Amino acid sequence: MRIDQESIEHDNIAGLSRRDFVKFCSTLAVGMGLPVGMGAQIAEAVTVQKRPPVLWLSAQECTGCTETLLRTSHPTLEKLILELISLEYHETLLVGAGRQAEDWREKSMKENKGKYILVVDGSIPTKDNGIYCKIGGKTALALLGEMAADAAAVIAIGSCASWGGVPSADPNPTGATPAHEVLKSRGIKTPVVNIPGCPPNPYNFLSTVLYFVTFKKLPELDDQSRPKFAYGRLIHENCERRPHFDAGRFAIQFGDEGHRKGYCLYKLGCKGPETFANCPIQLFNDVGSGAWPVGTGHPCFGCSEKGVGFTLPLHSPARPKYVTPPSIFPGIEAHKSGGASIAAAAVVAGLAGAALGAGAVTVKKLGEKEEGRKGTEE
Amino acid sequence: MAKRITIDPITRIEGHLRIDCEIDGGHVTKAWSSGQMWRGIETILRGRDPRDAWIFTQRFCGV
Repeated sequence: MRIDQESIEHDNIAGLSRRDFVKFCSTLAVGMGLPVGMGAQIAEAVTVQKRPPVLWLSAQECTGCTETLLRTSHPTLEKLILELISLEYHETLLVGAGRQAEDWREKSMKENKGKYILVVDGSIPTKDNGIYCKIGGKTALALLGEMAADAAAVIAIGSCASWGGVPSADPNPTGATPAHEVLKSRGIKTPVVNIPGCPPNPYNFLSTVLYFVTFKKLPELDDQSRPKFAYGRLIHENCERRPHFDAGRFAIQFGDEGHRKGYCLYKLGCKGPETFANCPIQLFNDVGSGAWPVGTGHPCFGCSEKGVGFTLPLHSPARPKYVTPPSIFPGIEAHKSGGASIAAAAVVAGLAGAALGAGAVTVKKLGEKEEGRKGTEE
Repeated sequence: MAKRITIDPITRIEGHLRIDCEIDGGHVTKAWSSGQMWRGIETILRGRDPRDAWIFTQRFCGV
């Protein structure tokens, strides 16, 4: 879609040049699996129309989900989030306090009825009528019901709001409940998107907001209401250490030889094989490759996955969703017309070994065949 | 006659804080601060593998 430059009032958006801003929107579009050209459409949508009002309700949370947004450096997301959307209410960021803050929330809800996006971070305590979290004298339970009923959509950010997270861990002392379950029990039909993670990747959240602003609908969701563009694949499927898993090369203890060599962390309890998230692709903090838990040498503990994070012990082995470790490893069959020499096989294996799973197996097998061939010739 | 003022929520901090104070003759004579949210992480930690503790305690505060 071509965009009419004249129709866009601002040359400078959120502290970025127009060119950089469209570039940023294109990056987000690609992250969501949309064509690059859609970046211009997103940029147009967010600059031409009125900034969408966003109200942010914090319940049983640690503010990590807010931090994850504020700490994004490329581009300066705090500027973008404050200038792209109209952030009407957010306990951690509001200048006003007490009655002033609550009055503004009520006023904004009234003025933007049916149009605002409600972001929820933190789980909702339901035990003892919700007394374990109160804001301005009202329980988070009552506030969520009130605020979600008039929202256009609810975005549950973080594992706590998405499926319960830390506060819901056994024995769940406060009856911590995810936002969508509270809505369901109260018969509130507002659509909910879950962006789990502890904290979640800020780009998954921002992409969802921009998608909604541009297309006036939510992105495609899975059966747990998670955007498919971010939670469609297992961490295990995109992990840079996957070849080591397939080749049977594992770290057994922290600091052992396998760990130092960057082998697979499955035997240290990595939950990548049963956790759906785009961490290995999206990475964190805009600092380049390796900036995610497994990249730093620590097993994934499934922070985003219901029934895994804060539920299974950290060092218990994962229950792989799609694949189980094979008991035997298939050899890689080399077509040989003239037969590969041991030296040639070693070169090939040396090059491919780092990236290709059964490098060691290949060398061994080719070596055997080489010897066998020689044997028959003699 | 003492006057009571309540400020809830206190914004621009992490968590849910409420401040109550009593004012008498233009001076604060008594004040109470109270956290308005409880998750029971101490209770959640009981009986777990000690190697899992950091996963929970690290999340007291995400700032």
